[in-house]
Amino acid sequence: MNTMRKYTTATLLLLAIVLGACQGEQSIIKATESATLAPTTGSTEISEMSLYNLDSDWQNQNSETLKLQYLQGKVQLVAMIYTSCGYACPRIVADLIRIEASLKEVKREDVGIVLVTMDPAWDTPEKLSAFAKENNLDPDRYKLLTSKQENIQELAALLNMKYKMSPDGEIAHSNIISVLNAKGEIIHQQEGLGADPNETVNAIKGLLHKI
Amino acid sequence: MIRRLLTAFLIFGTCGMAMAQKSTPANLAQVKGGTFVPLYGSNGKAVSVQGFRMDKYPVTNAEYAAFVTKNPKWKKHAVKKLFADANYLRHWTSDSNVGKNADKLSNSPVVNVSWFAAKAYCECQGKRLPSINEWEYAALASETKANASKDAKFYQRSLDWYSQPNPKYLPPVQQSFRNYYGIYGMIGLVWEWTSDFNSNMLIGESRANSSLDRQLFCGAGATGASDVQNYVAFMRYAFRSSLKANYTVGNLGFRCVQDVKNQAIAKK
Repeated sequence: MNTMRKYTTATLLLLAIVLGACQGEQSIIKATESATLAPTTGSTEISEMSLYNLDSDWQNQNSETLKLQYLQGKVQLVAMIYTSCGYACPRIVADLIRIEASLKEVKREDVGIVLVTMDPAWDTPEKLSAFAKENNLDPDRYKLLTSKQENIQELAALLNMKYKMSPDGEIAHSNIISVLNAKGEIIHQQEGLGADPNETVNAIKGLLHKI
Repeated sequence: MIRRLLTAFLIFGTCGMAMAQKSTPANLAQVKGGTFVPLYGSNGKAVSVQGFRMDKYPVTNAEYAAFVTKNPKWKKHAVKKLFADANYLRHWTSDSNVGKNADKLSNSPVVNVSWFAAKAYCECQGKRLPSINEWEYAALASETKANASKDAKFYQRSLDWYSQPNPKYLPPVQQSFRNYYGIYGMIGLVWEWTSDFNSNMLIGESRANSSLDRQLFCGAGATGASDVQNYVAFMRYAFRSSLKANYTVGNLGFRCVQDVKNQAIAKK
């Protein structure tokens, strides 16, 4: 009887997968992972240009599995990092902290910050968690994400990020901070390190004004 | 265990073509692994490329139409703008096939497809897009040599090809240049997508003043060109660096590759 039930479940799963066409593998992960975070605002219609159209699975610094849609509903600042880097990444975090400092009058829960690793082989959720602690990043505001290499590459492409692993383990990469509106559309991008954060801050305030 | 089985089922089950392609790899050519010095990205050092199988031809309009029919979310009017811009499949007069010019274009390379579309197509075949290094490595071949980078005549011919304007109707893929590996159209047909097109550190500004914007890019030491003579490769690198993942271009198509080890597993 038990085996019977197992087979039925397997068949159902299989059906679900086949119906899901090329998205199938993700359904499996969803079905087997227990610590899965659901989107905050329910699954509303996703707009054409929303990054939340990506259906891939991600892990945060607490090893919880989530879809990017989970980030929906508030303004998000997104940047890409790798924690083994010496020069640029602390600086991009410094730039984010500068932006944060100019948002004091804004309600904390209205703006989130997302750091996505470019180096999933090295940056496990544990490493990301340690990096957040070292840099005193408030876990309520900062989500550090990792995923499979190809999912990261897709997101990077959408963020107009260019990056390349060098043979020596360094990653050459562009420095871009993207501002996403509550729907997950890119509204503004700050390029380069140490850029004047005013435009970015204004873009964020403009969005919050609309909400 | 069940999960692995399911994944296996998934690969064969969802995109029906995958299995047929695996048992008859007549459309794939074997590229033996080796080393080469890419124009960009390795500081002038040789990089090694593992052996792989590459589609002999760029993906044609007819093949892409079959994919779109099976995966309606990639139909001309159904696609999300995030994944393909407004010119997606612009040369098709129908929503799911070439339409009016089918007689002229069925066997021509599909163009006006985004990186996301190309990637989804290859994944549905149990394949993937080639990396820049794989693509460039396979493109080193002339008719007779695996590496013709030192062959002045071959280089000049490549340069001549690139200086010709695109024909109104792209020719059938079988009519294009066939190289040492039996791969067609690597030069002289269309530009092609690569999986890591966005790993090019060349940007507009850097081409203008020949130095990289150090604030925008880090680790930029690996970005100098290794062979400034190779204008043909330079054009490809420059073109790639101008692309975004949802761009569609009238002379940009793609082909897929497959890892050799996957092939071995499939045979078991």
